Amino acid sequence: MTKPLPSASYKIPIWRNIKFLRIVFQVSVIFVVFLILNWLWGNYQINVARSSIPTDLRFLDNPANFTIPGSDFDQSQPVRSAFVEGFFNTLRVAFIGILLATLLGTLVGIARLSKNYLLNKLAAAYVEVIRNLPLLLLLTFMNLAVVLQTFPRIEEAWKPLDVMVISNRGIAIPWFVGSGTNLAAVIFLAGVIAYLVKKLRQKHSDRTGKPARDILYSVVTFFTLIAVAWFLLGYGLEFPFVDDRATSGGLRLDPSFFALLVALVLYTSSQIAEIVRGSILAVHKGQGEAADALALSASQKMRIVILPQAFRIAMPALGNQYLNLIKNSSLGASISYFELTQVAQITVGNGSPAVPAFTLTLLVYLSISFFTSLVVNYFNRKLELVER
Amino acid sequence: MSEKAFSDATKISDTTKEAIVTMDGVYKRFKDFEALKNINFKVGKQEVVVVIGPSGSGKSTLIRCINRLEQHDAGTIVVDGTVLSNDLRNIQEIRKETGMVFQSFNLFPHLTVLDNVAIGPRRVRNLAKSEAEEIALKLLERVKIPEQAGKFPAQLSGGQQQRVAIARALAMKPKVMLFDEPTSALDPEMINEVLDAIKELANEGMTMVVVTHEMGFAREVADRVVFMADGEIVEVGTPEELFDSPREERTKKFLSQIL
Amino acid sequence: MRPWLKQNLFRSYLDGVLTVVSAAIAIWIVVQIFTFVFITGRWEIVQVNIKLLLIGRFPEEHIGLLLASVMAIAFWIGVTGGAFVKPGAPKRSVLEIARELFQRFGLIALLGIAIVYLAGTGEALVAGLQIVVAIVAGRLLSALRTRVKLLSAIPSLLWIFVWGLAPTSLIWYTLSVSTLETWGGFLINFYIAVLSIVLCFPLGVLLALGRRSSLPVIRLLATTYIEIVRGAPLFVLLLLAGVALEFFIPPEITPDVIFRSVTVFTLFTAAYLAEIIRGGLQSIPKGQTEAGKAIGLSTVRIIGLITLPQALRNVIPAQIGQFISLFKDTTLAGAALSMFEILSIGKAITKQDDFLGQGLIYESLAFVGLMFWVGSFVMSRESQRLEKKLGVGIR
Repeated sequence: MTKPLPSASYKIPIWRNIKFLRIVFQVSVIFVVFLILNWLWGNYQINVARSSIPTDLRFLDNPANFTIPGSDFDQSQPVRSAFVEGFFNTLRVAFIGILLATLLGTLVGIARLSKNYLLNKLAAAYVEVIRNLPLLLLLTFMNLAVVLQTFPRIEEAWKPLDVMVISNRGIAIPWFVGSGTNLAAVIFLAGVIAYLVKKLRQKHSDRTGKPARDILYSVVTFFTLIAVAWFLLGYGLEFPFVDDRATSGGLRLDPSFFALLVALVLYTSSQIAEIVRGSILAVHKGQGEAADALALSASQKMRIVILPQAFRIAMPALGNQYLNLIKNSSLGASISYFELTQVAQITVGNGSPAVPAFTLTLLVYLSISFFTSLVVNYFNRKLELVER
Repeated sequence: MSEKAFSDATKISDTTKEAIVTMDGVYKRFKDFEALKNINFKVGKQEVVVVIGPSGSGKSTLIRCINRLEQHDAGTIVVDGTVLSNDLRNIQEIRKETGMVFQSFNLFPHLTVLDNVAIGPRRVRNLAKSEAEEIALKLLERVKIPEQAGKFPAQLSGGQQQRVAIARALAMKPKVMLFDEPTSALDPEMINEVLDAIKELANEGMTMVVVTHEMGFAREVADRVVFMADGEIVEVGTPEELFDSPREERTKKFLSQIL
Repeated sequence: MRPWLKQNLFRSYLDGVLTVVSAAIAIWIVVQIFTFVFITGRWEIVQVNIKLLLIGRFPEEHIGLLLASVMAIAFWIGVTGGAFVKPGAPKRSVLEIARELFQRFGLIALLGIAIVYLAGTGEALVAGLQIVVAIVAGRLLSALRTRVKLLSAIPSLLWIFVWGLAPTSLIWYTLSVSTLETWGGFLINFYIAVLSIVLCFPLGVLLALGRRSSLPVIRLLATTYIEIVRGAPLFVLLLLAGVALEFFIPPEITPDVIFRSVTVFTLFTAAYLAEIIRGGLQSIPKGQTEAGKAIGLSTVRIIGLITLPQALRNVIPAQIGQFISLFKDTTLAGAALSMFEILSIGKAITKQDDFLGQGLIYESLAFVGLMFWVGSFVMSRESQRLEKKLGVGIR
């Protein structure tokens, strides 16, 4: 005879009820966190009252009282403008740094896979030496040893091929003369047309079966268009020269920018080289074999089969390195390059309240990181394999 | 479910024995997918119930609800007199009294075979280490692999690993054993050694619910066979009734595809 | 010989050109380094300041104590090295053992010899020898353990832990006797790195578990912390700690530089460690937790006995990588907080009266760089070796 079912609606004692326990636990954690934050905030209030430094954001309107080398920032301009200037300096070094580091890193990474013994070992040495050094050491070396020590004084500046001027005041390179925005417009248009050419060649190839050579055509078109526009619009190239203890003409890279850029590029490129190498190796061996079995040429194998897959594997790690580079640019403050952190440090030294200034700086970095992560995630998702 | 199915599902083969597992009006949904619909089901003491059905029919969900690996949304589940609810103590009780064997073994790779089997008695029933190890060794003998005690799971074959998993579940001295497709992940030559171990358990009088595709096994060992499809119990009967003269269309269709 | 050359260096015309160019570059680099180190380098700046670079202004009278602590650590490292050898392992000849040790730690030994040479004193030599003896003694002790039946019954981790108490207490004593402000140089880089990595571990584990928790509040708190800390540059956090930390603690306490840096490093590294551990936790198949539940293990027990041990073991290489990063990042504390660590000292000594304006920054930075490079290189090689040995590898 089966027993009657016990009723399920009896009251579960509250200390054993999972649902209740979960809520209680979470509430108590919130409570503890709240207590801690409250204590910290309380201390903050006490200390601030004792130190009589204002803690709101009014300091942003005060005159900066410092100049920023390499720009026409006037010291009477408000602090907020200094921050903006610093922000753009950060972006500048980060953007160029990411480009150059990726380029150099990819080359070294591929060299690392070369069958040529010497090239392989040379690339390996490059990676191993740089990877194991602290970035600050590299930066200090570039700044104190290379730029300030080795680079000559302006009177005896090096002028390799008469094209650049290298001294301890910085490096001057030839640069375009003529309106910057117009040039940007020209480049943009050339890019668009080159892209169209690429697409047309692909279509042609699909129809007729002949090799597309789309990259070749589009690259040639791109540079030809720019050269033509150059002559038509009368752009020139300006070469720098030494003019009474300063350089004139061309684009001047100031010494701390140069040192920071080189240090960041060297350091990050060694990391990127390892990522590139790892991701190419991670592509399944069978893929290469299948490509060989189909009689694809070595370059076709690389371009069509291996590199696209390697790139997809590498994407998250590369994104991480880019974020690191952006954050590492803050080290520019240690060599007085006026990126965001240096601006914050100087203005705090001049009397601005520390906590709001640095919190503002942190928020800016967080936003840059967040934005970059979004971009990287977007590319990540676009590249993901379509699965069942 | 049909009235006949209801009465068959809830009628234990040997009416003198009590019900170890009772499911009453149980529903379970995952997001917008209804995995279990109006399940009414009883398992009697020492009864062997085999559950068959196409993939996605809810058979795994059914037995995973019994030891709360899945949480049912409506209805009552009672195991050995304990109601399965949000009561922490009840859940622990039920888990102590049920033993589960998984399709992918789920042995703990960083523990030796002996430790895998002994962990239940040691950490849940809080026995002394030597006592727990003694129990473990006896069980390993029972599944015929005592010599593997010092090895790690990765060193054993699939069939051996699954037998260790059976020993691990038995170590808790459960009232009912739940098997979730125990041989589906095994190479053909190892299926028999595992099925033999399960048959032995049945012959020794263990209450069991077995989800499986092994029809020969079902015929030999089951007291009742339950056919599930689309989250419902469609038909229940003795192996002869269900396999030789199925009543429902869905049952006939399924059997024709696999037999 | 010739076929190897053809295969690896001169496959094609282009390949041949590459070989010649690479060879030229390689030779030029080697020659430059050789002349710098042995011929043109003026190493007096490092020789004179070696003590400053290594241990800062550590008080003279306590150096013996410091040396004893270092020897205790060396002893303990020797013990650890031998603790995992199984009793039945094949015995190897002394030559084989020496060869393997040289391969693995030869660089450190060479660095040690270079330091002793630069220091140029007999005491330095004696100190170096004492450290070597300590390591060998520790290793022999562990070897003894495998021979004596009673001792080999002690589990390896317990063995290591027990012998670790000696250096720990010695260091504790050294700390209490000498004031922390006098510590400097490489010693402080090392000390901060070790202290931070030890302290950040529990926090990192908690954050990793929290991030994967099914309780929404916990998950949100953990994720917020991790994402904010990971989005912030370490340098800025250190600067912030340098000027702002005192605002958040009661006015009576004035934190010293070391306290500030250890706080920041700990909180910072915990977030990165949490992500590493989370990766490890994610790699454990869900079936393991289910099996644990099915037996009736409580959630805490499942995490503690099943998931966490495996996860931590799986990500050991990544953890070591994080420690190496932390070790190198201790240099930032010097720049941000004016702490007297080795890089700051390296910069400062070029401004000493005797060495001012002579362009000795190269020698100074070369030495500092070498200290970090050898440490980092050997540690990452050991980590790779460990990875192979354990047969795991999740990065």
